[in-house]
Amino acid sequence: MAEQINPAVKALTVLIPGFLLSFSFDVLTPLLFLLFLQVYVLFFSGIARKRWLLLFPPFLIAAAGFAWMAMLYTSSNFAGGDVLFSVFHLDVTSGSLVVGISLALRSLCFVSLSLLFVLTTDPTRLMLSLMQQAKLPPKITYGILAGYRFVPLFRHEFRILRQAQRVRGVTRVRGWKGRLLQVKRCAVPLLANAIRRAERTANAMESKGFTGSGERTHFHPMRVTGRDWRFFGLINGMLLVVFGLSYYFGYLRIFGIQVGG
Amino acid sequence: MNEIQQEPKTIRESLLAVFTLKELKLKEIVLMSMLGVVFGFIYLAFYFFGQGLRNILLPIGLAPFAYEFIFGIWFIVSIVAAYIIRKRGTAFWSELIAGTVQVLIGSPAGPMLIVSAAIQGLGAESAFWMTKYRNYSLWVLVTAGAMAAVFSYAWGLYHSGLIALAPGLLLATLLVRIVSGMLLAGVLGRWVSLSLARTGVLRGYALGKEQQRERRAS
Repeated sequence: MAEQINPAVKALTVLIPGFLLSFSFDVLTPLLFLLFLQVYVLFFSGIARKRWLLLFPPFLIAAAGFAWMAMLYTSSNFAGGDVLFSVFHLDVTSGSLVVGISLALRSLCFVSLSLLFVLTTDPTRLMLSLMQQAKLPPKITYGILAGYRFVPLFRHEFRILRQAQRVRGVTRVRGWKGRLLQVKRCAVPLLANAIRRAERTANAMESKGFTGSGERTHFHPMRVTGRDWRFFGLINGMLLVVFGLSYYFGYLRIFGIQVGG
Repeated sequence: MNEIQQEPKTIRESLLAVFTLKELKLKEIVLMSMLGVVFGFIYLAFYFFGQGLRNILLPIGLAPFAYEFIFGIWFIVSIVAAYIIRKRGTAFWSELIAGTVQVLIGSPAGPMLIVSAAIQGLGAESAFWMTKYRNYSLWVLVTAGAMAAVFSYAWGLYHSGLIALAPGLLLATLLVRIVSGMLLAGVLGRWVSLSLARTGVLRGYALGKEQQRERRAS
């Protein structure tokens, strides 16, 4: 169950493949990892399958678009092989096909990891864990949490602002200039209110004895247990296995250079 | 008054001041967080706008440019915060905070967004760092927007695998992104900050104080 994993460890876990996978430009490595991630999410993560199947597929379309673009404009260092077909005088070779599909699969891996994180992480627990495990200064942590608390209020304020302007007969101007004016009319009062509120909130925090010092006790202590590291080991261990497999089968390419095989 | 701060003497000291936030007061940090929330929504709106733009440009093969035109908007919080607060580390931390807030709101980009936000923030910060945090003229703000564009592009080359694309296309997209950073972050950021200063809410911050001094002088 990914929900109970310590958020800071979970963030680290999903970031590492984000860095390492960026080295590979072959098809097999990201494909195997993507398959593993899908199996993990669907059967072991505790995310409702229906929810995942609703959220994930739209990214397939975006990835396909990215693959198409990468295929058309591949650098000559990467686009070896025979010409398969051409569009608008741009040749698609077997090399560029590989790069395009690889980049798309890679981005799908990143999306899977990010969604896995976002869907199973409580915002407040994330901030507390970043403070207690990742040593983010309490000043920043509670500053961010204070701002985050006002999100529902901003929505409310935005609605009131629009209504107030309509009551006073602020008319819509057509065209680009009007659109810009509209944005300004909303953005400046919203920001001005936010600034006022920031000042009041900070004063309130300080008057109640918040010093922002790092030596403090915690009401909700966040702990790292063996289970968190097992999760870390599973995801990143599989990444290494995947790299190993694609090296073994002779597919691994680091920045377009064939490794082994 | 604690307005007079000790100037860092060595490069190491001044870098330390950027990353440890010693100079920033709590109210300035909460301000950055609030800016992060408001701009977080604007960023999200532009994300969908960019998706739409890309779908329009996709069939004619210009899709790679879709996000580049509007990329500058993602650096704006750095410029606004740095221009208002004018202390070491504001450009970097404000972007980092805005990125974190977006993750909290539930951006699908996840924790990686915090990393890319930090890199963009470092880009903007580098421009202010080079002026030793003394000059906040339009040109410095525009340079900060351009630097954020360059840093974020370098990150994209590696992380999104853009390095596999044709050099001519890369150069063209980089240029579009830099211009976008200059205009949408630098020029627009300055304009937003000045509009805010006119409402009078910035009286407690460096920009508001400067405006008051100018008004008194004239």
